[in-house]
Amino acid sequence: MNNHLISYMVFLPFFGALLQAFVSMTRSRWIALAASLAASACAIVLVVSMQIQTSDFQQMESLPWVGSYAISYDMAIDGLNVLMVLLVAILFPVLIASEWNQKVGVRGMHGLFLVLQTSLFGVVCAQDLFLQFFFWGLSALPFYFLVGIWGGEGREKAAFRSIVAASLGDALIFSALVLVYYSVDPHSFSLKELAGGRLAGKMFDFLGYELPVSGVAFILMSAGLSLRAPIWPFHGWFTEVAQEAPSSVFVALCAGSVPVALYIFVRVCYLLFPETLSIAGKIIVAVGATNLVMGGVCAVAQKGLRRLLAFICLSEVGFVLTGIGSLNSVGVVGAVYQQLIFGLGLAGFGLFSGVISERTGSTVFLAEDGERTFGGIATRAPWISVVAGVVVASLLGFPGFGGFVGHALVIIGSYSIHPFTVVVSGGALLLASYYLFAMYRSVFLGKPGVGSHPFEDLTFREQAYMFPVVLSLLFFGLYPKPLIELIRPAVLTVLSAVK
Amino acid sequence: MRDFFLLMPEILLATTLAFVVASEITYFGEQVRLITATSVLGLAGAFVQTIISYKYGPTQIFGGVLSIDGFSLFFKLLFILLALFSIASMSHTKVIRVENRIEFCALILAGTLSMCLVASATDVLLAFLSLLFLNVISYFLSAYGKHSVLSTEAAIKYLAFGTVSITLLLYSFSILFALTKSLNIYEMHKGLISNPLSPNVMLIAFMLSFLGLSFQLGAFPMYLIVPDVLEGSPTPISAFLSLGTRAAGFAFVIRFLIVVFAQPSLNAGQWQVLGQVDWTEIISVIAGLTMLIGSLLAFRQTAAKRLVGYLVIAQTGFLLIGLLVLDEVGIAAILYNLVIELFALMGSFFILSVFMDELKSDQLADLKGMLKRSVPECICLVLFLLSLVGSPPMPGFIGKFTLIGVAIRHQRMALAAVGVFSMVISTVAVARLAFQLMGDFQKSTQPPLSSNILRKVFLAALVIPMALVGIFADWVFHWAGQSLGFIFW
Repeated sequence: MNNHLISYMVFLPFFGALLQAFVSMTRSRWIALAASLAASACAIVLVVSMQIQTSDFQQMESLPWVGSYAISYDMAIDGLNVLMVLLVAILFPVLIASEWNQKVGVRGMHGLFLVLQTSLFGVVCAQDLFLQFFFWGLSALPFYFLVGIWGGEGREKAAFRSIVAASLGDALIFSALVLVYYSVDPHSFSLKELAGGRLAGKMFDFLGYELPVSGVAFILMSAGLSLRAPIWPFHGWFTEVAQEAPSSVFVALCAGSVPVALYIFVRVCYLLFPETLSIAGKIIVAVGATNLVMGGVCAVAQKGLRRLLAFICLSEVGFVLTGIGSLNSVGVVGAVYQQLIFGLGLAGFGLFSGVISERTGSTVFLAEDGERTFGGIATRAPWISVVAGVVVASLLGFPGFGGFVGHALVIIGSYSIHPFTVVVSGGALLLASYYLFAMYRSVFLGKPGVGSHPFEDLTFREQAYMFPVVLSLLFFGLYPKPLIELIRPAVLTVLSAVK
Repeated sequence: MRDFFLLMPEILLATTLAFVVASEITYFGEQVRLITATSVLGLAGAFVQTIISYKYGPTQIFGGVLSIDGFSLFFKLLFILLALFSIASMSHTKVIRVENRIEFCALILAGTLSMCLVASATDVLLAFLSLLFLNVISYFLSAYGKHSVLSTEAAIKYLAFGTVSITLLLYSFSILFALTKSLNIYEMHKGLISNPLSPNVMLIAFMLSFLGLSFQLGAFPMYLIVPDVLEGSPTPISAFLSLGTRAAGFAFVIRFLIVVFAQPSLNAGQWQVLGQVDWTEIISVIAGLTMLIGSLLAFRQTAAKRLVGYLVIAQTGFLLIGLLVLDEVGIAAILYNLVIELFALMGSFFILSVFMDELKSDQLADLKGMLKRSVPECICLVLFLLSLVGSPPMPGFIGKFTLIGVAIRHQRMALAAVGVFSMVISTVAVARLAFQLMGDFQKSTQPPLSSNILRKVFLAALVIPMALVGIFADWVFHWAGQSLGFIFW
């Protein structure tokens, strides 16, 4: 069965981006939205039509690209990437709708979002390391321009730091790739051919030292990805971007690019470096726990919604990493599931903070002296308060919301291996409930604060784009079974190589 | 007769050149367009003739002075395309005034003729004369902005450096001739095999020739001149000089070094060093230094043309990797990268020249906010530059991957690491330029640049082929590989 649905999904947004650049502004918005929605429709069809109970690649598309270097255009979906396809599909139409009334350069912004959608779909579906890296490199550039053009006052520094981090990270990943490519014979980039410990025991020579390929490539790969997903202490650029970027752009970063970076980590490291992973599992858990704690502690100190979102993202990434490092089927399934859920949760958070920022021109909810600046929004704008409530509940992992399933699975999974991390995660969740509720109270409840403005509730357009996010958070929380069944066989297969 | 037929591209170029020079004296006013059209037709004819020459197989003509093989034909096509683009870009710029266009066409044609000769020369004397011819044309071209101090300064520096380097090259040729009694490089090779040189003489001969040629390439010891020349020359000429002289240099360096200083190794498609001097180590240090210097200095520049100039130096360092591994794969990678550079450098200098016509400056600070004023041009500029430095999604990235890959394949890990580092720094340097272009996008109120449909067509003619080179990279590699198939032995 080959209907090229994946290719349509990946390239429709790109052609939409080209097309919308050449028409008038009123039409361009509709073209952008239509292209994004069409791609998302393809994605939903793909997800719905997936067979369960199998870890095989589905909807495989394969085409030689650069034959002399064994690079091919291999696209497929399986249990590991299906949730990311879903996440990107939900996210980008929502972002385009949220920037519907952008006054400056709306075509450019929508175009960059569409390019980003293409690149993230590409990264997620690619089954060839080179192709994957190709799309991953593409995903770094739009952020630079989105921050540099539409960012706030300090955008120069933020954009610059983000591009430095991204190009450094990409260079590290690239080195890992080339190293892996040249250490197997025949040279190959295909994930399928590289899987299953092909690199075990291979050595290479660097300035007279004999180094293991698998270990060095793993370190390069993780270091490269940690510069694209916020890992403490390399998260400086991330909080900087959070402060300066428009909220929609930051949503694309923390809810789109970051989960995809984690996905690459799972995919590449579990397939390529199983023997290194069995040693490095503990380190991954330690890094994850540190991230969790540092994210939580820093989040407590925040007085603005933007940086708060950045630190929540930091701690969620830590949480997923503890799941990935647990090397245990329940934990990894939870981590994969949580990638989708925290992406949606952060998207919801970013969107409502974007609405608040649009209405009031600020996202600082506590002044320097601790005086609240918003307050009492719930009585004037019930819709947005409900949305925010659902998002906060899901981020905290309340039963019935998406976050519950992910959190529970990760904690159960890691308990048998590293009981201590359970204590850390529990503590971090308690901390999270403190700072999220404190934020909720001072923004939405109580009396209107000093200098608060009249606050309109969500318009129809805003309700329309909040709806898919909230609905999926609720749906995936109440009925996770179909998705878990999709990911479980694939996770079991990759884990079998590690043991 | 067959020899003349195979030399047809050069003959066509020379005839067109003669016609243009003659008409420069007799015609004026409206006929300028006619002469531009003639030059374009002459170049197009030479292009077609070069493609026809492919049918007549690899062969030596005029008693082994010139070699008509895939390698020289590849470079001829590249040079003729470059000349066509240069002449097309001429009409979009104000720097070259209408009454001077004929001169410009004549110089470009002469430059192309000399580069074509360099690419097919297998006789060191002819190679020396063609390189000298090319250098003289380059001095004229860089001095073309007669009223600009920078242009004059650049030409003087260029002349001084050029004279020294060509003399070094002549010394090296003399040593080789004295010891092998031959001017033909293939004969030289045989002479060196039957009669090996002492390592010291070999080292001196190699160092002299490489120092001389590094001026053509813009590599480490002789790189100082490149940014000055590219900054001083009128911008449409910078593109021609930055790619043309370097590519001609590479065409000759590859042929000369591999034929004279190397011999086929036991592995198919690879060579090994001839004699006891391992000159690949020397080039490896030079390549590393060139990449580092180019990218680090590009990062510090405050003027756009100098920035591109230093990026070009870093590119030379990259291309040298392809040479020093002594592997056909590496040389095919060089050719692929040169194809990418053709579009990337032509495009970036063309857009910079459009901006400079408007702003009268190429300082980064003055370029601030150009994005709002001319969106397509700025997007294309960033795409061209990113492709030049080999940032991941661009076609140039595949080129960089092949070069770094070939370094790793031959266990040159440190060089590969330097290459990756230099790629990062170059990308950040381009990002600095891009940020200036974005400027204060949300508030800027400057008037937009006048829109010009021909300019957009020209840009599309550069961007689309560049993208195609990336998408159909395999075909280009195949072509580059084929070009090598029969060149050396």
